[in-house]
Amino acid sequence: MATERRAEVTWNGDLMSGSGSIDRVGSGAFGPLDVSWPARAEEQSAGKTSPEELIAAAHASCFSMALSHGLAQAGNAAERLRTSATVTFVPGTGITKIALEVEGSVPGIDEGAFREAAEAAKANCPVSKALAGVGEITLDARLAS
Amino acid sequence: MPRIERTASVSWEGNVARGTGLASGDTGSFSELPFSLPSRLNAESGKTSPEELLAAAHGGCLAMSIASELTQAGSPPERLDVKVRIVMDEVAGKGHLIVGSEVDVDARVPGFDEARFDALVRSADEGCPFSHLIRATASVTVRARLNAT
Repeated sequence: MATERRAEVTWNGDLMSGSGSIDRVGSGAFGPLDVSWPARAEEQSAGKTSPEELIAAAHASCFSMALSHGLAQAGNAAERLRTSATVTFVPGTGITKIALEVEGSVPGIDEGAFREAAEAAKANCPVSKALAGVGEITLDARLAS
Repeated sequence: MPRIERTASVSWEGNVARGTGLASGDTGSFSELPFSLPSRLNAESGKTSPEELLAAAHGGCLAMSIASELTQAGSPPERLDVKVRIVMDEVAGKGHLIVGSEVDVDARVPGFDEARFDALVRSADEGCPFSHLIRATASVTVRARLNAT
């Protein structure tokens, strides 16, 4: 069964000095969120989100769910996973890199098996597949000490 | 060209069927948004999901790309309204895939020439990095209407 998820965005004015808002999303979980070109394309984001930050959140959440599923299926359910995704955006070029980092609290698993499960989640989660065109997607997976 | 990095962090507790995650953007603009498998696959329930975050990302990306094209054409928009629907489906032999992104745009651009508008939207779609990427698994359709009055 297909699942649909919706978002609505408004933009006013030109790119450089105009501004936008992610007004609402179907679930109501967040919004409105302000967006602007300077917040997207300069080092300092001034507390505003950007498409790339939302992609980072989408990828980190998709990866985490896939990894928890894979670990549980192999008999090593995770107690806790802490994941971050960093998306690199080069204006004029596009998204050039995504770096995934995960630290897992997973009873009864060794480092090698955890890394293997994390690689499988990175390869198979739907967001990874949709973003397969990104030149470089890296993964750093380790167990919490 | 500057390289801009944007990071989001997620914590997940428990198994996939009954566990819950929390997603935060490092800019602080959103924090600890809950998500779960039921909120991802079933009816919308007040929790977000990876696909909803992608819908928001695609809307932001296309809005800026269209604003950029219109500005270069000498007519910055008064207002753009962009609605995005991301569709995920189970595909035989491939598991769950993001199969579609359906975008509706209403553009208010006083005096803009209707005949130039469709081509402009097409090049904005081509210029949006996210549109380009998700064509790996998804069909992207953009329907745009111009209000030039």
